[in-house]
Amino acid sequence: MKNLLFVFLFLAFGLVAVSPAQAQCNSDGFTDTCLGSLKDGFTFLKSFKIDGQGGAKQKVEYSYVFSKDTKYYINVCGQNGVDGIIVTMYDSNRKLVATNHANGKFYPGITYPCNATGIYYITFTFKDSENYCGGSVLGFSR
Amino acid sequence: MRKLILGLLPFMFWACSDKKPNTENLDAEFEAQQETSAPEVSQDVIEGIIQQIPSPLEISFLLKDQGVKYNNEFLNDPKATSNYNSDFQKAINLGIYGTDLGYTNIYEQNQDAIYYLQSIQKLSEGLNIGQFFNFKEIKRLATNSSNLDSLLLTTTKNFNSINAYLQQKKRANLSVLLLTGGWLEALHITTKVAESDVSNQGLIDKIGEQKIILDQVKLLLDFYKTSDPNIGQLRKDFEPLIEAFNQVEFIYTYHEPEMKEVDGEMVIIDNSTTEIKITPEILAKIGSETQKIRANVTK
Repeated sequence: MKNLLFVFLFLAFGLVAVSPAQAQCNSDGFTDTCLGSLKDGFTFLKSFKIDGQGGAKQKVEYSYVFSKDTKYYINVCGQNGVDGIIVTMYDSNRKLVATNHANGKFYPGITYPCNATGIYYITFTFKDSENYCGGSVLGFSR
Repeated sequence: MRKLILGLLPFMFWACSDKKPNTENLDAEFEAQQETSAPEVSQDVIEGIIQQIPSPLEISFLLKDQGVKYNNEFLNDPKATSNYNSDFQKAINLGIYGTDLGYTNIYEQNQDAIYYLQSIQKLSEGLNIGQFFNFKEIKRLATNSSNLDSLLLTTTKNFNSINAYLQQKKRANLSVLLLTGGWLEALHITTKVAESDVSNQGLIDKIGEQKIILDQVKLLLDFYKTSDPNIGQLRKDFEPLIEAFNQVEFIYTYHEPEMKEVDGEMVIIDNSTTEIKITPEILAKIGSETQKIRANVTK
């Protein structure tokens, strides 16, 4: 009986201890990965954490001021590649500017030569994602 | 050294230490400073605005790209740190020195860069955020790392830590001042260059574009203008500059973009355009108002 109780307590505490850890999203690790695959000639500008909280959060959004005549590159990294993470950029009027999801494919990065200065929204959503967790890096070149 | 310093720039020279800083001794001091009450706006909103403002580094890159010569007379005197006694002066000049450091470093003026690093260390310690600024670590990174982007990422993370720390201590007004100082100095340098190169349309457009950034800076200052009297005064000092920028015409036209796959990557053809209309008179006004504000905060 004592052994049974011990096993029960071990499992109970084990589950309590392990479950939150499994649900945690280590975005920093993914931004490091993305940084390593930043396209040659681009200088790092910003990193973005993408934590979909295991699917509870369907959208993660940031904004940034992009300048015309500047070329930007944004990539996405998740478990085993893009992991169903869609990055979509909208202008300040919420009109589509760029996406990494087209023709039924996920692209790991977008090159965006900006032609119009303004505030842009960078939105991360999920499609058939396994982990709802990733990172993204924005770089620029002139 | 150059790469190291570049790593510090976009975030106004925040620290490079991976270890958690010892903040225990500083908490009491921050508690005592909490009389600057937080504004009636969520920290997430403030954080969102701060994060969307571009790095002054972009402007410094532009200047060098355009063949503009280095001129340290445009910069703040690195020895002026002893003039800055209040938190307001320290924070805004820390932002200014951060941009100066970026400028000197992009032009590979290492001796000047060292002077600005020293100024930054002094002011950051004066603001009790020196614990995030680890010169030993900076030197280690400088000698061991050949990857600029890694350094930039490290400093981004540290910037976020410091920002979170200041917000937690209800001192986010310091973050706003750092950012304002950094932006003001970049505008100051750009307008000074434009004064002697009036035909440089790229530079003039870049100045006009600052209207968008100023809108964000104004928003941030507005959040604190009543709770922090110094920011209130600064906000008033900004008014003529805001009026000058209001006369800059900004025409944005959206056209649907084209997207194509190139070597497995998505490449966008941006068909949208912006046209910036700015007369020589407005340009001169922006320059003179910028110099006035900047002279006031650096004296």
